[in-house]
Amino acid sequence: MTRNASMTLSDVPVGTRVRIRHLSSRPEVSRRLRELGFCENVVVRCITRGYGNIICEIHDARVGLNSRLAGGILVSHLE
Amino acid sequence: MPAWGSTAVWQGGSLSRIWSEVSVMGKRPATSGVPEPPGLIALVGNPNCGKTTLFNALTGLHQKVGNYPGVTVERKEGQVRFEDGSGTSILDLPGTYSLNPGSPDEEIATDILLGAATHTPAPDVVVCVVDASHLERNLYLVTQIIDRRMPVVVALNMVDLAEKGGVALDVKALSRELGVPVVPTVASRGEGIAGLKQAIFTTRTAGERSHCWRLPEPVERETEELVGLLHDVHRIPEPQALHEAINLLTSESATIDPLDRYAPEVIAHVRRDHAKLDFLGFDRRSVFVESRYAWIKTVCERTVRRSPSTRPPLSDRIDAVVTHRFWGLVIFVGLMALLFQIMFSWAALPMELIGRGFDLFSIWVQEVMPPGDLRDLIIKGGVAGVAAVVSFLPQILFLFLFLGLLEDTGYMARAALIMDRLMCKVGLHGKSFIPLLSSFACAIPGVMATRTIDNPRDRLATMLVAPLMSCSARLPVYALMIAAFIPTTRVLGVVSLPGLTMLSMYMLGLVMALLMAWIFKKTLLRGVPPVFIIELPPYRLPSPRSILILMGQRAWSFLKRAGTIILGASIILWFLASYPRLEGGAPATRLEHSFAGRAGKFIEPLIRPLGFDWKIGVGLVTSLIQREVFVSSMGTMYNIQDGQESDSGVSLPRKLREERNPVTGGPAFTVLTGICIMVYYVLAMQCLSTVAVMRRETNGWKWPLFQVGYMTVLAYVVTFAVYRIGMALGMGG
Repeated sequence: MTRNASMTLSDVPVGTRVRIRHLSSRPEVSRRLRELGFCENVVVRCITRGYGNIICEIHDARVGLNSRLAGGILVSHLE
Repeated sequence: MPAWGSTAVWQGGSLSRIWSEVSVMGKRPATSGVPEPPGLIALVGNPNCGKTTLFNALTGLHQKVGNYPGVTVERKEGQVRFEDGSGTSILDLPGTYSLNPGSPDEEIATDILLGAATHTPAPDVVVCVVDASHLERNLYLVTQIIDRRMPVVVALNMVDLAEKGGVALDVKALSRELGVPVVPTVASRGEGIAGLKQAIFTTRTAGERSHCWRLPEPVERETEELVGLLHDVHRIPEPQALHEAINLLTSESATIDPLDRYAPEVIAHVRRDHAKLDFLGFDRRSVFVESRYAWIKTVCERTVRRSPSTRPPLSDRIDAVVTHRFWGLVIFVGLMALLFQIMFSWAALPMELIGRGFDLFSIWVQEVMPPGDLRDLIIKGGVAGVAAVVSFLPQILFLFLFLGLLEDTGYMARAALIMDRLMCKVGLHGKSFIPLLSSFACAIPGVMATRTIDNPRDRLATMLVAPLMSCSARLPVYALMIAAFIPTTRVLGVVSLPGLTMLSMYMLGLVMALLMAWIFKKTLLRGVPPVFIIELPPYRLPSPRSILILMGQRAWSFLKRAGTIILGASIILWFLASYPRLEGGAPATRLEHSFAGRAGKFIEPLIRPLGFDWKIGVGLVTSLIQREVFVSSMGTMYNIQDGQESDSGVSLPRKLREERNPVTGGPAFTVLTGICIMVYYVLAMQCLSTVAVMRRETNGWKWPLFQVGYMTVLAYVVTFAVYRIGMALGMGG
């Protein structure tokens, strides 16, 4: 797909915008993520990274997720 | 490409069919005359969109808080008054992100909107509350509700904040795009409420569009076919059929269980569709969500103008500190320390005033009434018991003030995020933190707050341990024991021993709750590790009105309990501790002879190993209803035992200290007894209301009984261990 498709959301540096490529969590978790806007091809921006969690901006809302969940979201750099 | 919204798609009679269904759903199609008010209005929206503030603005104080039958999801109903003086019921549905529910909370909202709830009819008008600053996210639910072909009014809330954030909205264009009325509001200041009421009053039909968003053509064709098939075969109304068709096409495989509801030809069709769409390279799981969001994006591009700002938004700057890996924790601990400080120091004065008020009342009763059983009943039975409990009202108010502020400012979601790491260690969820924090006030709102946890096992584990957190009902017990037995010395010159003891009891409850949660998640409730995702609302100034309403509701339900259960229990105990009467004999012997005395004596062998005597036994038995009854029981018993006409002026703690052991002649209670009583109360489930809530919540007796069982065993074992260790250390003398 792209050269960076193996990067996950938990690796994204603060302030960087990336595009979601694939959700690799359990089906019911992925479904929930999609409805909250974490859909393939959507652009997210990492706002801050805390202790075991990450806050990102998606569809102009602020969403916090834990590292385990963020680790299941594959992303790539914007072209 | 034919659009969903165009009549071309719905030709062949389907459009007229939809209209006939719409008028059935709307119950009262708009007529040329003056419209009647709608029968039922539902308020829906994402969590944190200001829905409750809007509900308060629409209803004023005309609201009822209850529960939906069978679950502890809170049901908030109010009355909206229209201009012509007529009134209509309005329901504040639990916040939800979509019509595919992920938690019991969302399920209630979805069922009511879909007309599938047995307890509540489908609403006549749906008011979708939308946070103007977060239009993209909020419109997702709106498109799903518009698909349902219900009469919809969109309340574009918090437009003031959006404007401050540099977001300009074209309300008319938005209304045109969505095909439903849109009313801008600022609920916290009551702006736009009149316009919203007007729109609710006049909207009686669904929007003109059947369906505003678009799908890629092949997907759209298959969906449309499936909708037709579901309608023809199962007679499912079109809007419902669309919802089900999307779910069927999205499902992972065509063999999963909900398919049992459908005819074989429908299942065969779904399988063919799956194969076809997969072959064409569409990701069925995401295409529907993606299409909705894609359409929403174009709507936002046409209706929202953002002025470019050089500085990052205020919320981002606050979050950089508040959720920082180090400072975040410092701020969190600081806030919790402040909470305890407020609850224990600031509340002391109002608590004392309430206590004095009751004393004055007792003295007044004594003056105006002749001595006798009735006066005894009022003073020693009723007033003593109720006073012991009502004096905790200030603490409860402070706690809900604090929780309300945390919630309203948007900090609560951050606290859950910060606590997630710790909660994960014991196999729980960041969201479990809020129920546990609420349980410091009372396990009942705590158990109710678990409804936001979507995984049933995590939810159950949280409910099982929530009552281990020291609730405000334990405070009177701790306070009495500390006043009676813990010397007011200072440790290391700074910390007072009574304060330290109190803190230790809270910590014991917290540590035990985490330990038990870990054990449950390792054994009974094994499951996949929890994932945690939470929307963080932008920081904002709290609405004093909403917080005052919340505090008022909590205070009222607390006072109601004091006026019913506790008053009743106190009177019954007074009776049990006074009868059968033994003429002559010392008051202490008379107490021993009474029903309560006999019951206490009966269980004495069982509690003797914990260092408790039969009088404490009476307290333990009576406080099975509610923990604070222990204090009122002790008060009642020692008052009766004294045999004096009134309170002798000697405080209960002093009476406890001076109580003699009838065998040895030494003090009956020691520091160790006091500690053992506190430890027992930290861990034992002495609360009927919590048992009742658990039963309703888990829909059966199994879990509440298990909970009572494990907590009693835990309390007994730990107290026994503390007593034995204490004795060995020579604290028993």
